[in-house]
This record gives sequence, C-alpha cells and structure tokens, in this order.
Amino acid sequence: MRQGNRQGRSRFVLLGILAPAVIWLVLFLILPYFNLFSFSFWQNDVFTVRHEFNLLNYAKFFTESQTGAAPYLVLLDTLKLACWVTVCTLLLSFPLAYFIRFKVTRYKQALYMLVIIPLWVSYIMRAYSWKIILGTNGILNSFLLWLGIVDTPVSFFLYSDVSVIIGMTHIYTPFVLMPVYTALEQIPQNLIEASNDLGGNRLRTFLHVVFPLALPGIITGGTYAFVLSMGDFLAPSLLGGPTSSTKIANIVQQQFGTSNNWPYGAAIGIVILVLVLGLLEVTGRLERHFSKLESTSPRTLR
Amino acid sequence: MVKKIWPVSTVLAAVSLSLLVSCGEKEKKNESESFQGKTLSLLVWEGYADPKFTAEFEKQYGVKVAGTYFNSGDDLVAKLKAGGGNAYDVISPSGDMAGFLVQSDMVEPIDVSLMPNYKDLSPKLVLPDVEKNGKVYGIPYMWGPDYLVYDADVIKEAPTSWSVFWDPTYKGKVSLYDDISNIYLIGQMMELDKTDPAALYNMTEEQLAFARKKLLELNPAVRKYWVSAGELNDLFANKEVVVSVGWPITVKEVNEKGRNLKWTIPKEGTTGWIDRLMIVKGSKNQKLAALYINYIVGAKGQALTAEVTNYSPGNAKAAAFMSEDLQKATYVNEMDSLFAKINFWQYVANRARYNEIWTEVKTGK
Repeated sequence: MRQGNRQGRSRFVLLGILAPAVIWLVLFLILPYFNLFSFSFWQNDVFTVRHEFNLLNYAKFFTESQTGAAPYLVLLDTLKLACWVTVCTLLLSFPLAYFIRFKVTRYKQALYMLVIIPLWVSYIMRAYSWKIILGTNGILNSFLLWLGIVDTPVSFFLYSDVSVIIGMTHIYTPFVLMPVYTALEQIPQNLIEASNDLGGNRLRTFLHVVFPLALPGIITGGTYAFVLSMGDFLAPSLLGGPTSSTKIANIVQQQFGTSNNWPYGAAIGIVILVLVLGLLEVTGRLERHFSKLESTSPRTLR
Repeated sequence: MVKKIWPVSTVLAAVSLSLLVSCGEKEKKNESESFQGKTLSLLVWEGYADPKFTAEFEKQYGVKVAGTYFNSGDDLVAKLKAGGGNAYDVISPSGDMAGFLVQSDMVEPIDVSLMPNYKDLSPKLVLPDVEKNGKVYGIPYMWGPDYLVYDADVIKEAPTSWSVFWDPTYKGKVSLYDDISNIYLIGQMMELDKTDPAALYNMTEEQLAFARKKLLELNPAVRKYWVSAGELNDLFANKEVVVSVGWPITVKEVNEKGRNLKWTIPKEGTTGWIDRLMIVKGSKNQKLAALYINYIVGAKGQALTAEVTNYSPGNAKAAAFMSEDLQKATYVNEMDSLFAKINFWQYVANRARYNEIWTEVKTGK
C-alpha cells in the first residue's frame, strides 16, 4: 500500500514536471499551427477575413496568375538557394571540423569557440556587416581594385543572389559545424589506428572509416542549413537585389504584412511546413541508416 | 441718484460663470496632472517622432512620446492590425490610406473646436476624404512630392523625364520605392492622369499589365528597392545608386553628410502625399493624443518637423520659425507653386491586384 502511494506520488511529481512543457507546446506550437491550418482555408476580403471554407488559397499558389507565372516557382527558387547554402556551409564546415578534430592538439576548444562566437552577435549586425564588405565601395572591392585585379568595382558582390548565399553561409556555418564536429569527435581513435594497421593509407582511412562515420553529422548539419536558409527572410531582404530579395519566406511575411492577406500567407506556410516535415522525415531515416556507431558504440569497442 | 441694481439673474449668471471658469481651470490642471507618466504611442512615417519636437511636449505634460515607424500605407495597416487595436494612439497615414481608415472605422473622430491650431492649416489640405457624417477624423500635418532624386556629382544635368531610369548609362545604379506606388509612376509616364488625376489609382487590367512589363524591364537596372527612407539614404551615401524616387528627407540627410544630392520634378509630373494625423480607435490616451496633434500642427511644431524632414508644413505660420533656406526648400511661402505640380496619392480600391503585380515584378515571375 505504501508502495502504491509512492508510485502515485511519483506519477504526480512527473506530471508536475511535464505540465509546463505540455502547456508550452500546446499554447505556442499546436494551437498556432492549428490556427494557421484553419486560416489557410478562409478567404481574404479588404483587410479582413471571410470565414468561408475554400481551397482558393492553395489553388492560387499553384496556378498562373492573370499576368504572371505561378507563385510556387518562388518556392523552387528558394529551394535552389537553400541547396547552394547547404553545399557551401558543408564545404566550409567539414574541412574545418576535420582540422580541429584531428590536426589541432592545443587550443582545440578555443578554435571551436571561435566558430561558435559569431552566434552571440545579433543576426542583423552580421547581415549588415556584409553590406560593408561587399558593397561597391566596400572592403572587398577596394582590395581587388588595389590589387589591380579589377578596374571598376564588381557590382554583383552585393544585392544579388551571390550576397544572399554568402550572408547565409556565414550565418549558418556554425549550425553545420557543431553536428559535424560532434560526429567526428565520436569516432574512436582505435578505429583509425586499426585502419592504419591494416595498411590503409590516409585517403583510404578517410573514405572508408572517417567519412562514413561522420555522415550522420553531415546529414544533420546539412538539414539545419537547408531548413534554416529556406525559412530566412531577413538575409534576402537586406542583401538581395531587385529580384533576389523576395524568397518564399518573404512572400509569406508580406502576406502577413503589406499584402494583408493572412489566409493566403497561412496556405503558403502550410505548404512549406509539409515540405519541411517530409524533408525531416527523409533525412531522419538517412541519418539512422548511416549511423553505424550506435550498434558498435565506442564504449563496447574499448 | 440711481442705484444700479444688478438683476438677480445677471448676478447668478456671473457667479455660475466664474464658478464654471474656475472649475474649468481646475479640471484643466487636474487633466494635465493626470497625464503624468503616461506614454503616447505614435505609429508614423520616418522622421515624425523626432526628439527635436517631441521633447518639448513630453516636458510640458510630463509624459513620454514613443515612436514606431511604418514604411508604407499597407505596412501601417498591417502594424495596426498586429498591434491589436490600441497599441498605438496616433498615426500619420498618407492620402492612399487615410480615407480607408475612416471608412472602415479604425480611427476616432476629432473635435476640432478643441484644436486652436486647426484653423491655421491650409484649406487646400482640409479634404473630405477624412470626414464622415460631419465629423473630422484627420488633421493635416505635412505634405510633399515623390521627387526624382539624383547624385549631382554623377548626373550633371537634371533629368527631364522619369525615363532616365531606363537609360543604360545608369544601369545597376537605380533605386525605386518598394511599394505599389511604382505602378502609379508608370501610369504617369503613360500620361493616364492628363484627363483624370484619379486614373493612376484605378488602372485597368491592360494598363496594369503594361506597367508590369515596364517594371520587369527595369529590374536589371535596379540596384535595390528601398523599403525605408533610411535605407535609401544609405544607398546614396554608399554610392550604390545615383538616381531614385525619393522624398525630401533623403536629400536633406544625405547632403548633411557632405554629398551633393539634388531633386527635380520631371516633365511627366509627379505623385505626392498629404499626411494626416489621426487617433486610433479605442486609444486609451485620446485627450493626450488630441493635445499632441494640436501641438504638432501648430506653427512651431510644424517648423521643427520641417527642419527634421524638409517636408512642407500645412501651417503657413510655421515660416516664422524657419530659416530662409528651409522656407525655400519646403515651399512654405509659395505652397501653390509646388502643390499644383503634384498628383496626390489616393486609395487604390484594387490594391490586392496592385500588390500582386508588384510582387510579380520583385520575383521576376
């Protein structure tokens, strides 16, 4: 009986601990999503919303307008941009993480922190600083002019897709570096030694031991970069040019802002949400598929 | 000897009047005391919440004036809606949104009899779009044109036509306002307003399609569409652009940094705006808001606003507090010469379609 009492009490305690989290989730995640979902089936009037079920918002997103192409093409553009950012961040992060993990012996922690520190600086500050670097009279152009590589300032550095990709790559690299580094960190030294002992040279060891074991981290990092850059509307609006400053997230933001069409914005939001959930499902599966360390965890090997 | 006997009624009237006056004074005193520590929230165009003129009001009533900026008429409505009704007390819509706000019951009527400075405002600016059922909802504040602003160090002679934007010489050095007003601009280049000034704000589907085509053609020439006046100032200051649609505040602020910007009105004419001050529906500080509006449309308030923005004051008496250069720049003494050249923004009934076209231009689709 005392046993039962204790069980009851611990269940009560557990409930007490979980309750704030559950309330938080319901209030700030589930309810808003539900709200968004229901909004997407309503119709916009002049600055108000007509509560009338219909699929027009979705239809509008996927069909040509009176004059222009179908709006979903902007989503495809954004996916392309996200791919670029993912590739660039991975190309930067992997060698860097590899270097810190295997080549640096002293100040390892300090170097890692150097990559993370930019996260403490406000997003807008980081995006703005790229304007100073990439502008017509910016640091980069002045440098190239001084070197004599160009005669006139290069204009495509700023207010173009290039500057958006550069800005986002800078901003999202730490998010990629962290999981990649963690994956590399978890590779037991004795596996690498074993590969060497068996006659594998550095390239072979890398291709057959290090890279496959780091793959889950690479997938996680790549997913972060992809999803975050897809949903970013600040970098395009600050660093993008006439036609590169309006990505899908900007379109959504506009619907809740200057276009004042909440239902349409909600519908696009739902489309993006479904896309991202699908993507997370796929990358989640891939990650599990490539996670070889879990079955042969370092501890059992030791 | 005639002893003058005051009729009882007169005495009574005098007594009650004096009582009334003293009561009124007392009330007034109480009122100004009751404002102590309150915060008046302005949601206004850039430059309309500058400490240069809000500080004096703050001191006088012991209140705080907090300013939030909006970037376009649509942005104003979006922010009003997001604020949930009474997050703001005073707004400064231009003519493209003012009438709509009145008609859709989003603002409070204003008792102009309690606003001594109202009578000093130019009758040209007192327009029926902010009146409903005999009540006034908006008080004229500043007005001005959408200038063609150019960097006179690069462009030596004032451009005579808006078509300078399409001139290959300035490719990649052009900027435009990130707003549906670019569609009005094309309408004006098409001379739609020659017969009917309102035609720019009621363009037909073919006219809109043409505007869309012209603006898409212009995309490669554009360096960046500016969202706020501050952004345009930076674009000029950093020599990213040499020619743009812009407001007087840009010429003023960039030239203060030692640059040589000039403005002109091309032969096709230009559009412009009359900004009205309004009290948001359900505002908790309506009395304070009315006091602020009266203060800021007064001669001194408008002169100081003109000093910050270089926009034209609606109150000609402001000239007394302005330097000679500022008087010239703002046309305060010769209002008509500038006023007559401007086709003032109006509410666009089909704004969803205008917005759609503008998004298509910006996405290049």
